[in-house]
Amino acid sequence: MTFQDRFVNGLTKFASVMNNNKYFSVLRSSFARLLPIILIGSFGTLLSTLISNPTTGLAQWLPSLEKLGPAFSAMSFATISIMSIPLVFLVGLYMGEANGMPKYPSGILALVSYIMVVPNVVNITTKDGKVLSAGGLSTSVLGAEGLIIGMLIAIISIGIFSKLMKVEKLKIKMPDSVPPMIATSFNTLIPSFITILIFAIGGELFHIFTGQYINQFIYSVVQVPMQSVMQTNFGIVILVMVSQLLWFVGMHGGQAISAIRNPIFVAGLAANIDAVANGAIPTQPLTFGFWRCFVAVGGAGYVLSLIIAIFIVSKREEHKAIAKLGLLPAILGISEPVVFGLPLVMNVIFIIPFVLNSAISSLIAMFAMNIGFLTPNTVDVPFGIPVLFNPFVSYGWQGVIVQFICLVITVLMWIPFVLISNKEKVVEN
Amino acid sequence: MKKIILLCAAGMSTSILVNKMKESAKDEPIKYEINAYPISEALEQAADADVILLGPQVRFQEQKIRELLPEKLISTIDMKDYGTMNGKNVLEHAKRIMGDK
Repeated sequence: MTFQDRFVNGLTKFASVMNNNKYFSVLRSSFARLLPIILIGSFGTLLSTLISNPTTGLAQWLPSLEKLGPAFSAMSFATISIMSIPLVFLVGLYMGEANGMPKYPSGILALVSYIMVVPNVVNITTKDGKVLSAGGLSTSVLGAEGLIIGMLIAIISIGIFSKLMKVEKLKIKMPDSVPPMIATSFNTLIPSFITILIFAIGGELFHIFTGQYINQFIYSVVQVPMQSVMQTNFGIVILVMVSQLLWFVGMHGGQAISAIRNPIFVAGLAANIDAVANGAIPTQPLTFGFWRCFVAVGGAGYVLSLIIAIFIVSKREEHKAIAKLGLLPAILGISEPVVFGLPLVMNVIFIIPFVLNSAISSLIAMFAMNIGFLTPNTVDVPFGIPVLFNPFVSYGWQGVIVQFICLVITVLMWIPFVLISNKEKVVEN
Repeated sequence: MKKIILLCAAGMSTSILVNKMKESAKDEPIKYEINAYPISEALEQAADADVILLGPQVRFQEQKIRELLPEKLISTIDMKDYGTMNGKNVLEHAKRIMGDK
């Protein structure tokens, strides 16, 4: 087997593991359902900046608009600040579906199990140092800080539930005349009860022995280190290169890595929104806004820049034809016509720019953030907004400039390789 | 009337192909309803499909879709046809799988 075969086989195997693995696939489906609402929630921040904020919004001329502020805060609270709740429900639901269990009871059970192990009392320290307690769930339980522990609890609880459901002795025997719907709901009773008991007691034992709740433990031991490694130049370059290598073998890279990428992105966005709400400067660079504005511009691997490069220097008619066909989709962020039509898949001539462009542009954007020109975003832009417009939504005019620079540099990156492919044609003739 | 469902990551790029396929399908003796959806919605959207076609970029999920919908005719679209958005070829491909002439 040649090196190239082994390389491609390895990547294909990696993608199919990412994909056929039950847990990754459950997380991917869950995030696919959660993300639209996160996106909508991030617009709460935008509306607040544009309308109710007394220094940046319309409220500077119409002071009464300031009164709408709480409405826009509610928009982001009800979506982003409580994202762990729908996520745990969804992970439980898809996990149940994957195990052949009734899905809605699985979703509810996962959520109950999660709430069982987190503190249900909120402590508030008053100005004079008194600690007051009230029943309730804090935002550290409801929001992005609960993502990892929430996913774990959902997966484990439904794993236990599924095992128990297969134990015949735990089933309540019903006469045949009982409708199957009712029989199912009775049959889930004992396994659900045992699962809930395990988490209620397990959560409390953890608390007694370690002095902290398991969600706080996992947050500080797993989620914080993971985020601080991934929210760096190193993290983004690794993510982008893996994604692009998968595209090179013809697979949707972004989707294949989404189980790892998406929790980091939504937690980053939530932290940024939180920072702005507290009057601080947002610090987490990697979000969906970042991915769409600086990583996958004009489709994965800066395909739009390739199209421009082809228009400038290509002598191959069939490349020009594909470029024309792919131009409009690429402006909207869809790269498939060129990726499969040119093709870029398995095309060794173009592998270097195809894999490196997104990494280089990510580093440019990271640099712009490090020098303070660009501020990490609090508004995620939806898929399908044209290039040069999408960074305006997420990052303002500074984002447009950075994206434009990235486009120019990546066009220059593509040009030598388009010239090489011109020669390839000559050899063929 | 037969139903052809295309699946890709977000249902975006396949929706371009769907339009091209609809153009080709106008002159067919059989009526075809053709739609594109995100692959995550396969179970809800493709339950009544006569044939399910996957975009090549999500072909590594074909096995999973087969498990979810074991009775369906499922196939992956040829990369070249997909890239050139060749609606006619893809429609022919779908017809061949369904056994339509």
